[in-house]
Amino acid sequence: MFSLEGITNSIQEWLFATFNPTVALLIQFAIVILLAITLFAVLGLVLVLMERKVAARMQIRLGPNRVGPQGMFQTTADTLKLIMKEGLTPDGADKFLFNLAPYIVMIVAMLLLAPIAFAKGFQIWDINIGVLYVTAISSLAVIGILMAGWASNNKYSMLGAMRSGAQIVSYELSAGLSIITIVVLTGSLQISEIVASQQNGWWLFKGHIPAIIAFVIFIIAVTAETNRAPFDLAEAESELTAGFHTEYSGMKFALFFLAEYINIFIVCAIGATLFLGGWMPLHIGSWEGFNRIMDYIPSVVWFFGKTFFLIFLIMWFRWTFPRLRIDQLLNLEWKYLLPISLFNLLLVTVIAILGWHF
Amino acid sequence: MFIKEYIKDIFRAVKSLLTGMNRTGYYFVRPREIITEQYPDNRDTLVLAERFRGEVVMPHDEKNKHACTGCTACELACPNGTIKIITKFDISPEGKKKKALDTFIYHLELCTMCNLCVVACPTDAIKMAQNFEHSVYDRTRLTKKLNNPGSKIREGIE
Amino acid sequence: MNAAAIIFYAISALILGAGILAVTSRKIFRSAIWLLASLVGVAALYFWMQVEFIAAVQIIVYVGGIVVLIIFSIFLTHQSGQDLPKPILKRTIFSGLAALLGLGFSYNLIREYGFQPTTIPFTPTVSDIGTQMLSPTEYGYVLPFEVVSMLLLAAMIGCIVIAMKPPSETITIQSIPAQDPVKGKINIKEPEMMEEL
Repeated sequence: MFSLEGITNSIQEWLFATFNPTVALLIQFAIVILLAITLFAVLGLVLVLMERKVAARMQIRLGPNRVGPQGMFQTTADTLKLIMKEGLTPDGADKFLFNLAPYIVMIVAMLLLAPIAFAKGFQIWDINIGVLYVTAISSLAVIGILMAGWASNNKYSMLGAMRSGAQIVSYELSAGLSIITIVVLTGSLQISEIVASQQNGWWLFKGHIPAIIAFVIFIIAVTAETNRAPFDLAEAESELTAGFHTEYSGMKFALFFLAEYINIFIVCAIGATLFLGGWMPLHIGSWEGFNRIMDYIPSVVWFFGKTFFLIFLIMWFRWTFPRLRIDQLLNLEWKYLLPISLFNLLLVTVIAILGWHF
Repeated sequence: MFIKEYIKDIFRAVKSLLTGMNRTGYYFVRPREIITEQYPDNRDTLVLAERFRGEVVMPHDEKNKHACTGCTACELACPNGTIKIITKFDISPEGKKKKALDTFIYHLELCTMCNLCVVACPTDAIKMAQNFEHSVYDRTRLTKKLNNPGSKIREGIE
Repeated sequence: MNAAAIIFYAISALILGAGILAVTSRKIFRSAIWLLASLVGVAALYFWMQVEFIAAVQIIVYVGGIVVLIIFSIFLTHQSGQDLPKPILKRTIFSGLAALLGLGFSYNLIREYGFQPTTIPFTPTVSDIGTQMLSPTEYGYVLPFEVVSMLLLAAMIGCIVIAMKPPSETITIQSIPAQDPVKGKINIKEPEMMEEL
């Protein structure tokens, strides 16, 4: 049966047999970095195309259909155009920070990739605080956005950055609380253990209604955290041109654009890991035969299937709902999501202590 | 009660959001509903919406007759002076003088396709056509004469 | 010098260098960014020591919380884009003295006790930290923990009281001004002054 674990193991054995340990380790680092960058590039191309196609279908249009079959190479052509474009730095900008900001946003997205389990035994770094690590690192992304907004020396950028900051800081709370509900049920922060705990069913089904509420809140909060419509006030086109990346062009703009999609992928991967079992196939309690059939589908397919389902859900939101105003946005968080998730956490704790979950 | 109102609010919000998602989801799973026309490729089979307005035309029947009395109601109705009507006096068989249309001048370059002239016309002599390929190299070619040369008013229209 | 030592000195150099730049930079926003770099360096040091939980908390609290707040307050002040004026000489001297005093104090402590190498494996899990934090036995931290939470609760209630408009006064503002605007104004001002006093 196809599995990524076997491939990685044999590569590691071969490397350590051929080179001395230090060199082998360095080669492994290089391979991981190369794979991460390749994943980023492919994801960027696929997700942007997917977004445009989904948007088109929902708006009864065709979407990109000229470059290649069904417009397949549209995003590749767009990327080529962005690479060739001049990267302007506006007059009066803080040049150092202006050029640094897109890289910070990108590096944060890369760091977030580390603890995600893509398939059975295929994970870069199984850190023992996995989920907390993701929460901590993702709070760094706001710095890059604030930096970009301030360094551009532009009022739209500044306003966009401030909105984005307020938004991310407040929605981090409910995202964190809904993550904690699953941590309470699992009793561990480690991603591999969270996945292993869903051996006999995903938490979304095992955790009764509180888990479903937590899932809904998580999806809403991460949509806001990634600055996507209906929470895209930070780059509201009609009000702020493009928000914090108004002044960026060429490859630096492309990095912001790419980071947005990578962040969507990462939050959806985390959501899939926490609530939908990560790479764990759909198992139902003690139905041995059913579970065995499900195991024949490779775990990497399960992982990407779930993640892309969540990405589709977020895209569905984007092309259905109108943009919120800033006061509505903060009302939603502080008057609805936060109290509900606090109450929900209490409920889940009771369930976990009394052992009511399956 | 406050809590009751709060929970009701949440349910109403979720319901309205789901209604919206239902609509977009409906279109997502039904590619047949796509209304995009791939214009230059399907020029022969192009389907335009019924309400699309491309230009003002004056229909003539097979005997080269139109329904315009030259009353200038359309000229008066036009908000930006697109239509200019030149009238003449016909001599009827009984020897009576009668006002009639000489030239119906239509400035397409000024027209906003507002349809007010068609609404104003008492005899339905003009209507909106769907032709939209109007681009020309010379602006003067957009000034059109709508009545055919030698055309006459149809009998029985006052 | 082995690889671990090289990494340690590199991280330390980052922390100290960024700290010095944060103090000496003449642009206030850049100062905040250098402070951020310094704090991230401290988190990196924790990661290097393999106490990941502390490192993650360091990032959440200092980088995600405090530095973001600092940047927000910079955004809200006037003329944040201009260079700061040169500090007064007296202030420079005194701050230098304060820094030297701190250095001397910590050096004295280190010289007295030193770093004793230990062979006990140091592998605290997150649940150990949680248990210790809430344990009511000796060396448990439940009392400080609860006291701190009381403090935070008090701070939160204080924030709400400051931010809240007195509800009865808003009603008077809406109803009275038509007949008696002066009285309405007095009514608004009084409670504010009372709170300040």
